Amino acid sequence: MSQMNSCKVKTSKQWIMGIMGAGICIFVSALAGMTLTGYTGRAQANQPAGNSAAVERGGQQFASSCGFCHGADATGGRGPDLVRSKLVADDVGGNLIGSVIRNGRPAKGMPAFTMSAQQISDIAAFLHARFRAERSSRTMGGGDYPLSKLLTGNAAEGKAFFDKAGCAGCHSVTGDLAHVAKKYEPVVLEMRMLYPRGAETPTVTVTLPSGEQVKGELEHLDEFSVALRDSAGWYRSFPRSEVKVEVHDPLAAHQALLSKLTQDDVHNLFAYLETLQ
Amino acid sequence: MPVFSIKIRRPLTGLPGRHNKLDLIMNHKIGRFSRRNSAPSTGLFLWALALMFLLAALSLLPHVLLGQGLDPAALLKPATNTWPTYNGDYSGRRFSTLNQITASNVNELTLDWVLETRSQSIKSTPLEVNGILYFTAPDNVWAADARTGRVIWHYERTSVGDHIGHRGVGMYGDWLYFTTSDAQLVCLNAKDGSVRWITQLADPKLGYFSTMAPLVVRDHVIAGVSGDVTDIPGYLESLDPATGKLQWRWYTEPKPGEPGSNTWPQTSDAIRHGGGMTWMTGTYDPELNLLYWGIGNPNPVLAGAPRPGDNLFTCSIVALNPDTGKLVWYFQPSPHDVHDWDAVETPVLFNATFDGKPRKLLAQASRNGYFFVLDRTNGEHLVTAPFIQTTWASGIDSRGRPVAKPQDAPRPDGALVAPASDGATNWMAPSFDPQTGLFYVSARRTFSVFFLTAAGKAEGWAGTDRGLWADSAIRAIDYKTGKIVWDHELGNGEDGAGILTTAGGVLFTADNSGNMLALDPATGKTLWHVNLGGRMASSPETFEIDGRQVLLVSARNLVFAFSLPHKLTQSK
Repeated sequence: MSQMNSCKVKTSKQWIMGIMGAGICIFVSALAGMTLTGYTGRAQANQPAGNSAAVERGGQQFASSCGFCHGADATGGRGPDLVRSKLVADDVGGNLIGSVIRNGRPAKGMPAFTMSAQQISDIAAFLHARFRAERSSRTMGGGDYPLSKLLTGNAAEGKAFFDKAGCAGCHSVTGDLAHVAKKYEPVVLEMRMLYPRGAETPTVTVTLPSGEQVKGELEHLDEFSVALRDSAGWYRSFPRSEVKVEVHDPLAAHQALLSKLTQDDVHNLFAYLETLQ
Repeated sequence: MPVFSIKIRRPLTGLPGRHNKLDLIMNHKIGRFSRRNSAPSTGLFLWALALMFLLAALSLLPHVLLGQGLDPAALLKPATNTWPTYNGDYSGRRFSTLNQITASNVNELTLDWVLETRSQSIKSTPLEVNGILYFTAPDNVWAADARTGRVIWHYERTSVGDHIGHRGVGMYGDWLYFTTSDAQLVCLNAKDGSVRWITQLADPKLGYFSTMAPLVVRDHVIAGVSGDVTDIPGYLESLDPATGKLQWRWYTEPKPGEPGSNTWPQTSDAIRHGGGMTWMTGTYDPELNLLYWGIGNPNPVLAGAPRPGDNLFTCSIVALNPDTGKLVWYFQPSPHDVHDWDAVETPVLFNATFDGKPRKLLAQASRNGYFFVLDRTNGEHLVTAPFIQTTWASGIDSRGRPVAKPQDAPRPDGALVAPASDGATNWMAPSFDPQTGLFYVSARRTFSVFFLTAAGKAEGWAGTDRGLWADSAIRAIDYKTGKIVWDHELGNGEDGAGILTTAGGVLFTADNSGNMLALDPATGKTLWHVNLGGRMASSPETFEIDGRQVLLVSARNLVFAFSLPHKLTQSK
């Protein structure tokens, strides 16, 4: 609000500058507001996202001053886990964390530390970042998920499975699968290996009462209607009560395999596909 | 019974609630009267006389004199023509005795009205009390005229926190109880939506929120909490309907040293951060005076290593005393869960024969893909059977619990598992139809790869799962054996619609393409359908108004009321 007040247009002579100033002021305020409420995780947070330099400095400070008891990542050790701490959740910019650092908790064996305001706000930024990381731990990134974590199988056994399970009926390691490991990030490859969702559109043959057959790419299918896009590119739909419907799903074999694969099959097959560089 | 006849049920009556106006007036008068008579014996006699008069008068009073509110005593008798609580009644079976809409006339249903809200998808089950509907979306409560769909009032309160969905309100007297995304409980005046008080259920800064419809049991408002992105303990609370004051709080993890605490590591604080949220509305047996609640998954969600053991009472069905919050018995569908398969799905109560004997039963189709039947007097296990094909269990142990394969736990290189974390079923209301003896569930076949991604100490979710493929079906289960009697396909993807069964011999639900379905509950055959223009993410319900049975459903942010044409409802 103080920003807004300072931007009030005082004189009519300065109205152009004033409007521009007010506009900038509103823009700046909006930016400030965005920063203050910048974090929009699944759960509520009252903390600014913090700048990464402060988080970095705070992390180093924390590891050297606090890590011995609380763990370098603040998940606890001799001292409590601070990622799950209510005090950290309630803290805003170090207002609560600071007094614990400065005064210590003698009854619980925590000594007092002498730190600058900057050091305290950096540590607070680090702890809030750790809390945000916990909240958003239902993610795994995409391309940056390391191949080494996924590469636990035996490629030779994967090849044997590939040959035995009939994968070659649709695929060829020198054709569609050539260089497949270069084409996809590791996690994506593992997922697409199991079920390449959307890679192929099912086709459908609709037989009308007259015996006429209409073929095309399946657009929609439910209990009551079927819709397709015919070879001329036209959308056509039919009531299922009047027609015979035959769907050909090129991914049906993948789907059927899902309930048969062991975890070893999955990882061996993945190891094999990763050899197709 | 003739097809078009309807039974006018006795309206909601019973003993007055504590805050019933008439009750207060009568007591006031009695009080004044007795003060004039100083002789204790005469006073006592007159008290008794007055009390008798009061009870007699109230039993004869027409409903309308009790006002438009909801007497909690009325909930103790099964509702037949209204829908006064989340599941329609305490049993959670979502079977209505209304029979005006039948298998032979359901195809004549016509649209009475549509109500559109400016909100996210409606996932709540509206209450219907005295011709007024009360329903919700996150941050929003509406009261609407059940006859016309006209909005009477709208309460909006923006809040931070998870807005995943909202299940509805609870009602006591003239008051509604609404849980919020920032884990508050709001008490509203049902007449105009004004706020009576707001009290905090949990600290939203720690990651709590609430989506459930509170359950009113006599003078208790039972409310639960949600949130599993952080490692916080779950609990269930009972609050005073008048003041919001806490009556009891039951933690879903025992305190160290209490029974069940030995199912957690003894050398860490895992038990104090073990999750176990009370996401959904439970059920209640007035005769046994037991509250049944499904408990959520443990935390960290996908990481089992920091919490070896069964992790009681997460992923459990618990029976609690509603007056004290004390645990009476428990059964755990998913010991040591590592797949987010909470056991919060409705514990459905019904009385039926089992092994030739009449039993008080409880059945749950659980998110882990298994159907369970218990004796609800003591928690004795009777049936365990999968209702979809799962891959994660190697068998069933002597206590009726599925035994998890260790290799199907989430791992850094990914574990292929059915079902996915969303489960074989979820919030979608199941139903039990006493006329067919079948239990119905919205079931999903899903496959997913579970990745454990935590580096260092696992906290929060500590990983994720990525879905591969899914399709859905309504499945009818024989409660005696757990066998699937019929299967009605709903199409690819994960379904979101619950189920209603009715004495008219019609089951209502929806498919994945926006079609509301009327099915034959005995065979699963389609009797009628209509496309609502969007997916149903709620559960159908029915009530009676002006002698007409109304079917109420919602899709997206639209509420639809259907009934039979007047020519059919008036031919009695």
